[in-house]
Amino acid sequence: MRRIVILLVLYAVMQGIFLLGSAESGVPTLMLFGFLILAAYSVGELATSFGLPKIVGYMLAGLFFGPPGLAYVSKPVIVELAPVSNLAIALIAFLAGAELQIAEIRARGIGILKMMSAELVLCFVGVAAVIALLRGQLPFLASAPGTEVLAFSLLFAAVAVVHSPAATIALLSETKANGPLARYTLGVVLVMDVAVVLIFSAVLAAARALVPPTDGSGGVQMGTVLWEIGGAVLVGAVLGLFVALYLRFISRELFIFAILIALLGAEIAKILHVETLLTLLVAGFVAENASGGHGEKFRHAMERAAAPIFVVFFALSGAKLDPASVLPLWTIVVPVVLVRMLAIWGGTTLGARWAGLDPVVTKYTWYGLVSQAGVAFGLAAVVAEVYPDRGEALRSLLLATIAINQTVGPILFRVALKRSGELKSTG
Amino acid sequence: MSAPLLLILIAALAFLATHVAYEWLAKRLLIVSGAEYLVLGVLLGPHATKLVSPAAIEAFDPIVILAIGWMGIATGMPLQLQRLVRIPAVAYRLSLVEGLLTLALVATGVASAIAYAFQVPLQEALVPALALGAIAVASTPAGLDVAYGDGTRSAPVLRQIEVAQGMDGLISVLAFGIVMAWAHTAIPLTVRALTTTEWVVVTLGIGVVGGTLFHLFLGGETSPDRLFISLGGAIVLTSGAAAFLQLSPALAAFVMGVVLANSMRHPASVLQVLRTGERPLYYVLLLLAGASWNPDSNIVWWLVLMHYVVLRTLSKLWGSGIATWFNGAQQSVGLDWGRGLVGQGRLTIALAMDYARRDLPFADVIFTCAAASVLFTEFFAARFVRSAAAPLLAPLEQFTVTTSAVVDSVAETMTQRFPEWRSGDAPSSDERTP
Repeated sequence: MRRIVILLVLYAVMQGIFLLGSAESGVPTLMLFGFLILAAYSVGELATSFGLPKIVGYMLAGLFFGPPGLAYVSKPVIVELAPVSNLAIALIAFLAGAELQIAEIRARGIGILKMMSAELVLCFVGVAAVIALLRGQLPFLASAPGTEVLAFSLLFAAVAVVHSPAATIALLSETKANGPLARYTLGVVLVMDVAVVLIFSAVLAAARALVPPTDGSGGVQMGTVLWEIGGAVLVGAVLGLFVALYLRFISRELFIFAILIALLGAEIAKILHVETLLTLLVAGFVAENASGGHGEKFRHAMERAAAPIFVVFFALSGAKLDPASVLPLWTIVVPVVLVRMLAIWGGTTLGARWAGLDPVVTKYTWYGLVSQAGVAFGLAAVVAEVYPDRGEALRSLLLATIAINQTVGPILFRVALKRSGELKSTG
Repeated sequence: MSAPLLLILIAALAFLATHVAYEWLAKRLLIVSGAEYLVLGVLLGPHATKLVSPAAIEAFDPIVILAIGWMGIATGMPLQLQRLVRIPAVAYRLSLVEGLLTLALVATGVASAIAYAFQVPLQEALVPALALGAIAVASTPAGLDVAYGDGTRSAPVLRQIEVAQGMDGLISVLAFGIVMAWAHTAIPLTVRALTTTEWVVVTLGIGVVGGTLFHLFLGGETSPDRLFISLGGAIVLTSGAAAFLQLSPALAAFVMGVVLANSMRHPASVLQVLRTGERPLYYVLLLLAGASWNPDSNIVWWLVLMHYVVLRTLSKLWGSGIATWFNGAQQSVGLDWGRGLVGQGRLTIALAMDYARRDLPFADVIFTCAAASVLFTEFFAARFVRSAAAPLLAPLEQFTVTTSAVVDSVAETMTQRFPEWRSGDAPSSDERTP
């Protein structure tokens, strides 16, 4: 009840303030940032009373207050708040890296790799096949030659295999789950996140060979890819060592330090043109494993710093969704989503049996791999950039698919954690 | 250099400054560090190395608004009614007179100086003069914290300085907020033009709603994560809403602070969260203030600046002394406690930045006066406080030393007479009787 009162008060406040705004007032970015923190957090809390994860509530708040709903958070505001999303991604990557301990990699690494590879192959082939088979439903592929169908199917599949580290980390932070299922799911998501950079680059290069872009630009050179990955590892390691030294010898004001490190890592990665996620992931991993036991305190500080940022990040993700775009494409979106889920289920089950994992892990890991968010959005934008004419249509299709996966994924993961008995807190 | 990287470096610098320079200088040299970041800002800014461009400064506007709001709430939070009612009325009387006198004297002097120096009608000089008057009232609490720690101050003179600093903050923020409401010219798109009183009510209302929302959010829980999310959200929302309506974010956040301080069961936890961000944000504000400073060598600027400095110092020193003498309180607090109010700091810069970022007259002059005052007084704020309080505290300290010596001596004699007391096993009266 209190949450509903808060939302009503917030609604009344926003109405009143917009009523008093003048022509010279400009875009109230800061105010809407504060509004989003409070409103999305309230909807998130409300969502838990329906057994839904908080991040679904945050996204619903974004949808409701964003352009598809009341439009308080307009498109210019979303653009102005982009640094918040970047910070969130940086924090998520660092936290994800910090979750990986060397001992755990030794214990679970093989199982994670087996599950990830089986799932990757099935998901990639399955989704590409669906697109190729249902090409008649897509105007831009209906009468295209076979090479184009192949190229765009592969590109679509390369984006479809991506998971969401953001949703996984956020849900694990929310539920405090830390059992085998949570650890294996996180492991697969993170390893896939690294693998997908390579896969996507290779597929894009192949697509360029099959269907050259009209202006001949926008391709990805092998050297660039190598630098993006190798450079990220190098920069991340240096950053991680710096953090480890700070934790060992100073270890003060970790809250502010956490925000600064996330910002600094993201900015350095941008300037040096290396993969941001991988940079922060490596930095988190090095910091955790080289800080001599001081990493846990820092991880907690970072989780605290990330809490309001996550709220706004997921609310903005919700605000970016366009439910209207899903409807016209439902005849292809629904089969793609179902086949992807089936492939993830099949792949993880196969991989887990191959690695001889616990039946609970075998049965429920796929639930946690359905989510898609930031990385997938970014890759879809790259496709649209390389192929401006047909890529845009493919991007709409991808966004419609991501919209469903992003909404359903966290709910499924929560269900899995609950059924496996790893859900310590109902949030 | 890219704006985000610059912001990170500024924040990192502020962060290091907080924990290295501030504590070190405060402990060893009794110096309140901070004003040097103003100079650093000037050096980084468009007038020197051009590392921070005007466009970059403009991009930091949301951070500036947030910092102004933060300083506002930090000024309002100590005003806890339960604590305030225990303070004798005379302390408020003295503080109120000193604050109002400073406001009136500086505003009048600066108004005539601006009108004379810039050859403008007196009416045109009123808004900047009143704003500067409000800024002049503010005094930094950092001096007292550095000189005597931030715990409870039981000595009357320290308590008087503390009360006066709180009262200065109240008068300063309130007067500045009213001036901003008075200078408000924007007409709402959907309703009629509002009067000054109505804009003031709107500012106060934003603060009250911000505080209420925070409460509703928190409920009975005290988890640090929830506290941080809701406090951060409420400050950002409150400051952002006031800035959007071109009102004073400091006043709105100040009211929010007062609401929180008086309605929360454990305001100490909120204060803890506030303190975490206060000094780094202040340093960021100082650096940006330095970078956006447009000083002029024009002689007429100096006239206004001289008026500001002289009138402010006079009203702080003599105003407090005269008020004390009239109230016959010189026995307990002395006549010089006003020295403890000479230092200016976080609130002064916050209000000056708030004035400068608007399209108001003589913004550069106002900003220069405030910045110069912080530059020359904050360093020595702790020494000012010491010089005001030390003569009155000396007998107390002597008394404490003497009492301790007597207690030690008695204890030693008793121990020699009854050695078994040393181990805490005191003999009964029967045992001691021969």
